[in-house]
Amino acid sequence: MAFEPILLRNAGNPAVHEVSGYRKAGGYEALSKALAMEPEEIIDAVKASGLRGRGGAGFPAGLKWSFIPKGSEKAKYLVCNADESEPGTFKDRILIETDPHQLIEGCAICCYAVGASTCYVYIRGEYVAPALTLERAIADAYEHGLLGEDVLGSGFALDMRVHRGAGAYICGEETGMLESLEGRRGQPRIKPPFPAIVGAFAAPTVINNVETLCNVPHIIGRGAEWFKSLGTDERNTGPKVYCISGHVERPGVYEYPIGVTLDDLIAAAGGMYRGRALKAYIPGGASAAILSDEQSGLPMDFDSLAQAGSMLGSAAVVVMDETTCLVRATLRLAKFFAHESCGQCTPCREGTNWSEMILARLEDGRGSESDIDLLQRITTNMSGTALCALADACVGPVRSLVTNFRPEVMQHVEQGCCPLPRQSIFEPGAVS
Amino acid sequence: MPRLTIDGRTVEVEAGTNLIEAAAAAGVQIPHYCYHPRLSIVGQCRMCLVKIEGMPKLQTGCTTQVMKDGMVVLVDDDEVRAAQEGIMEFLLINHPLDCPICDQAGECGLQDYSFKHGQAFSRFEYAEKRTYSGKERIPLGSEVVLNMNRCIQCTRCVRFTEEISRTGELGLFQRGARTEIGVFPGKELSNELSTCVVDICPVGALTSTRFRFAERVWNLDKIPSLCSGCDVGCNITIEHRRGVVRRYKPRTNPAVNDHWMCDFGRSTFGRSAGSRLTVPTVIRDDGRRAAVSWKEALDAAIERLGRAEAEEIAILATGCVTTEEAFLLSRLAEALGTTNKSVLREVDRKREIPNPVGGVSGDEATPNRRGAELAGLHPGDQRLRADELVERDGASQCRVLVIADGDPGSRLHAPEVVERLRRSSSLIVIGWADSPLAAVADIVLPAASHVERDGTFVNSQYRLQRANKAFPSPTGVRSSLAIVGELLGSFKEDWSGLNEQAVFARLAEHVGAFSGLTFDTIPAEGIGLQMVAGGAPDSA
Repeated sequence: MAFEPILLRNAGNPAVHEVSGYRKAGGYEALSKALAMEPEEIIDAVKASGLRGRGGAGFPAGLKWSFIPKGSEKAKYLVCNADESEPGTFKDRILIETDPHQLIEGCAICCYAVGASTCYVYIRGEYVAPALTLERAIADAYEHGLLGEDVLGSGFALDMRVHRGAGAYICGEETGMLESLEGRRGQPRIKPPFPAIVGAFAAPTVINNVETLCNVPHIIGRGAEWFKSLGTDERNTGPKVYCISGHVERPGVYEYPIGVTLDDLIAAAGGMYRGRALKAYIPGGASAAILSDEQSGLPMDFDSLAQAGSMLGSAAVVVMDETTCLVRATLRLAKFFAHESCGQCTPCREGTNWSEMILARLEDGRGSESDIDLLQRITTNMSGTALCALADACVGPVRSLVTNFRPEVMQHVEQGCCPLPRQSIFEPGAVS
Repeated sequence: MPRLTIDGRTVEVEAGTNLIEAAAAAGVQIPHYCYHPRLSIVGQCRMCLVKIEGMPKLQTGCTTQVMKDGMVVLVDDDEVRAAQEGIMEFLLINHPLDCPICDQAGECGLQDYSFKHGQAFSRFEYAEKRTYSGKERIPLGSEVVLNMNRCIQCTRCVRFTEEISRTGELGLFQRGARTEIGVFPGKELSNELSTCVVDICPVGALTSTRFRFAERVWNLDKIPSLCSGCDVGCNITIEHRRGVVRRYKPRTNPAVNDHWMCDFGRSTFGRSAGSRLTVPTVIRDDGRRAAVSWKEALDAAIERLGRAEAEEIAILATGCVTTEEAFLLSRLAEALGTTNKSVLREVDRKREIPNPVGGVSGDEATPNRRGAELAGLHPGDQRLRADELVERDGASQCRVLVIADGDPGSRLHAPEVVERLRRSSSLIVIGWADSPLAAVADIVLPAASHVERDGTFVNSQYRLQRANKAFPSPTGVRSSLAIVGELLGSFKEDWSGLNEQAVFARLAEHVGAFSGLTFDTIPAEGIGLQMVAGGAPDSA
């Protein structure tokens, strides 16, 4: 499938790490154009483009920006979410590593549009190299007058800082991130109030994912209509960076118009690993429901996957072939959520842990049929009762296991052991 | 004010009220653990989920504010009940089910809600519950012990130290199912309000070193009263079993101590169990102390008072007396014709209790110095006033010195003070504690202790509050009011045999600050006395 990359167009061109190289490739033209526009026009253009948040929830970006109160004297903030901790997701890292100025430009346009004069990039702690790359690029941008007191002579002032996290999935949740950014224990806040009204340092704050912001210069540069021409339909527009991992020949990031199918992606990634058959796949990161091979022809966009009971999420596609035990794969995911639950609210703290325990005994062949119903009940009790979305994230894969793949779980119960030999992409011993 | 409907009951509340409070106003209980009216709202326990018409999901009652008319809330609802059952199950799977050996049993939020909202069976089939090995009894400070296995991570204690005591000793550590409460490294829970975290802990995770395993709570009788530790006048519940006081618990009064009380105040619960005076004694002519009948002791006292010149008699009280006792002592002085009547002011360290109206503080060691002054024991310019007697040589000019003694630790019990007071020719002591002062008195009249009497107190805010008798005094002991009443009655017949109500009624007639009040209609939260310019109330 031929597609001229947009967000990844500068991949393989290290010259763009410098302002001069990025400019040569057409960079910062959109920022100049934006600074000549009224902020409201920019928000309208982003609204018109149909750009939806690429972090997972798919909330319309322009609409989010428009929630920032106008004319308020209060400081406003943009926080760029580069915490990227969803297992299977690695697109933001590649976006920052290959083209840091694209992100800086997107952030600058967003800040100008919403009237923010400070932008924090909250980056995952483990991302040391991307953080350094970004910091160097930011310093370069300051030197060239693209950040600082007077951005490109427009009178618009913007400060941009990189803030490194300390290794918690929950700090990718937007309010958990704000707590962490402010120096407190990373745990989500009660919403409402939403960050657009009471965000970082109690001020109105826009929080956008890296990829979302990377799209912005292109929308401004090439227009909303062009952006809308990409994708499945009006509600699913633009380019999308998919992260493919698991049983494919060439795992990695692949950029396509939003809405390609899994089959297209597997083909792009060189086909199934050693030509094996597809068994199941996770379309959108660890919190998405697991889909079966029969659903491999679905357009991978927000609405199509939601209709199928899963989600596009962060477009972290995990491909699992016939050698994969789905109970074991789900156990690994549940273990992740139990480990990453912040522990403040009851359904998540106890529910993720309990789910993990039950899955562990099912995988070991010590489970019973009633455990399957119990998982169903527990996930019902976790669903929609917690303070943030982490409990629901755990519910996604666990519930899909017991509803979509019940026969495989039953095999474990009936045979008293895992019916598949322990060989998969998951390290033996990683699950105990 | 917006109106809303909760389970079909309509109620009007102030805008911004959360649903837990609004429901309470409508007479509907929404179960909760992490919510506390004085702590920040965190929405963590998820027990207060309710259904709100027009909302797609259940919402937590604590975080939902009533802002406009017409909200319709359902608590008595299948979906809500299912959620409550689910949360209870989550809380219980890793909680020990050993209520019989838990100190919290009988006053435990988990127990109560299990009966009301839980299931009668467990679906948790797993060999081992989560435990925090080695963290079953961690002293957080001198007053509080933590058993992490019983904690349900509601974080009330953490928020208390952040927001109320503002000392920040406690924090949340680890995460997920391993989340635990603890003190920050190098710190200990040492603030003056620290035991309040035990009160607000909904389960048996935090226990008081003074009370843990001392008594099963269902054996305790609970009587609303006042703390006598200082002049703040914290509202408390005296909790005792058959006359043995086990603890003081704060009783909520937003105008005074709110939901709190200090560790020192709590520590005074054992005062009345100290060494007691139980029989009247007199020192006979041969210089030996002898136990005598009440009649003999009182006659001896009356005889000495009657023989002395008026100005050679002095009456001295500590601030431990009730207002009624002080009033009778004052009338006794008047009946004897002496102006030497005063109350001792004992300055102590400053104690402060936060409340929603700016807090309350006190710096005296006794609870009712102000009430005693209002009742007539002035610190005026009389010759033999308290400081003359206690600090200087005043007592040597006394023929008879009558002292209403204080609790142990009173300034009156210092050896040099005892020696000065003993310079009076005759020393009559009314008190309950077998104090160094009582030990040298010519006549000792054993009285009821703080927890054995009814009476009113005036705290540092000039707020009149009632203390109540928790249980009868030991046999042979009389209340101070009765004792002073007997003495006074022998000089003025119409003052004999009056009870607290009757004395208070006469007090209200005589003293402007109390006018219009009656003993039995003093509200549970007390009443502010009328203040006049200059700060102190009119004491006419």
